[in-house]
Amino acid sequence: MYPENDGEMSEKIQRLIETIDVANVLTDPLTRSIEDLLRVTAADIGSGEASVLVRDGDEGDLRFLAAIGKVAEQLVNIKVPAGKGIAGFVLSSGQPMAVSNVEEDSAFYKEVDKATGYSTEMILATPLQHDGETIGVLEYINRKGDPPHTPFTPDEMDRAGRFASAIASLVYAYESAKLFRDLGDKLVEDNEKFNIDEIRTWLAEFRGGAEHREMMDLAVMVREIAGRGEAERQMCRELLESVMRYTDSRNEGSFLGTE
Amino acid sequence: MITAERIQIPNVADWAGLFRFDDDWRGASGKGVSVAIIDSGIDVLHPDLVGKVASSVEARIENKKVAFDPSDDGDSAGHGTACAGIIAKIAPDAELHSIKVLGAGGLGDGMAFMAGLEWAIKQKYRVVNLSLGTTKPQFFAPLHDLLDRAYQAGCIVVAAANNLPQPSFPSVFSSSLISVIKSEETDPLNFGFHYGEVIELTAPGVNVRTAWPGGGYRNLTGNSFACPHIVGVIALLLEKHPNLTPFHVKSALHSIAMENLNKSV
Repeated sequence: MYPENDGEMSEKIQRLIETIDVANVLTDPLTRSIEDLLRVTAADIGSGEASVLVRDGDEGDLRFLAAIGKVAEQLVNIKVPAGKGIAGFVLSSGQPMAVSNVEEDSAFYKEVDKATGYSTEMILATPLQHDGETIGVLEYINRKGDPPHTPFTPDEMDRAGRFASAIASLVYAYESAKLFRDLGDKLVEDNEKFNIDEIRTWLAEFRGGAEHREMMDLAVMVREIAGRGEAERQMCRELLESVMRYTDSRNEGSFLGTE
Repeated sequence: MITAERIQIPNVADWAGLFRFDDDWRGASGKGVSVAIIDSGIDVLHPDLVGKVASSVEARIENKKVAFDPSDDGDSAGHGTACAGIIAKIAPDAELHSIKVLGAGGLGDGMAFMAGLEWAIKQKYRVVNLSLGTTKPQFFAPLHDLLDRAYQAGCIVVAAANNLPQPSFPSVFSSSLISVIKSEETDPLNFGFHYGEVIELTAPGVNVRTAWPGGGYRNLTGNSFACPHIVGVIALLLEKHPNLTPFHVKSALHSIAMENLNKSV
């Protein structure tokens, strides 16, 4: 039910942004969707294990964001230092790559296997790209069933590249949601306590869809930032204008006019 | 991205015998030809590479610019060693130079390898193996300029093409460099030719057995392993014909690829 009165609405929204567990509302369904996609695509590739690594900081380090398979739980949040291993190379080079006899010698970056107790024999790794940025790496590990296993084929590599573009969109959405969550956390950090149960009840009655909630979220956040002073207002405006310029420019593909 | 409509080219058969490049390069070893490998470094102690790597440098940031220092750090990811191993197999006497741009923390993705390319052009290396790429649009123009400089300096840049849905630079700049895509061919000298969105050569890139840091070997698949095959062949061509320009080299590769295709028909 929407509140009738503007003042009441604004107060409710203020409290809403302070109480929503943005982490769960925005990011949990996304990680689940990423795992679902990993499961379906790994079956298509003929692999038992798959994982997604994302950038961790600005130095080229990677972190496991999602995984499926025997050691999925241990993998999540393990970090891979910049430039290390197959994933590190794929992130910095933007080139997909497959290795079929990983276990054969000692130079392979073994820290991840050590941490999970798993034995990597084959990797197919492809970059996750979104709007010109490499935002992470998609990996398929080992074949299903008993050995001997055939190496990953060029056709499977091409398919993995196509899967990567779908998964990259989800990973990008996850990362954006996480950004909002962190910003939201910062905003509410100093605010005073309030009655969580009351807000939850109101939320349960709230009829707007997830998209609507996100829009409100954004609007409230902008209002909150703008309320912090002239400098913040100015910065917020500049940031938003540059986002608009960027999305405008992306829509202009050709110099030729349409007939 | 503005793309031109595909131009119809004559059938392969129509081109056969039109140009013919001497076969003397087949007996060459790449002697006296300098080859730069812009990558993750090279394991210079690998049995396949001992004595073949003439220099190794590594990128370092200095006041938001990139500087190169001598490096004895080896290979952080394995890829550079793998590429060097492929080149050394085809052109065992080529003089390899490792330019390590991967694994340097804090460097922008494209910036490090652009600096590496600029370094290679400044050192006047004849052939550059570039298995890296970027999809960032802001590097489009500066990379174009760099590749033009390489072209004018007679430095032949060979890049791994990218068959991911998004275009990657610089492999889409087909006029100023040589772009390579993987094939299932196993004979390293039996490369081919492919005319698609960009003009590409095809070379072995599926399950290629090559050197890996620590003295071992790996079976690797990817366009980035097709690229060093063509680099090796160019080193052979340049040993026999040191004055070939990038334009000549492209024409020579094309005529050899046509011959290879006709042989297999």
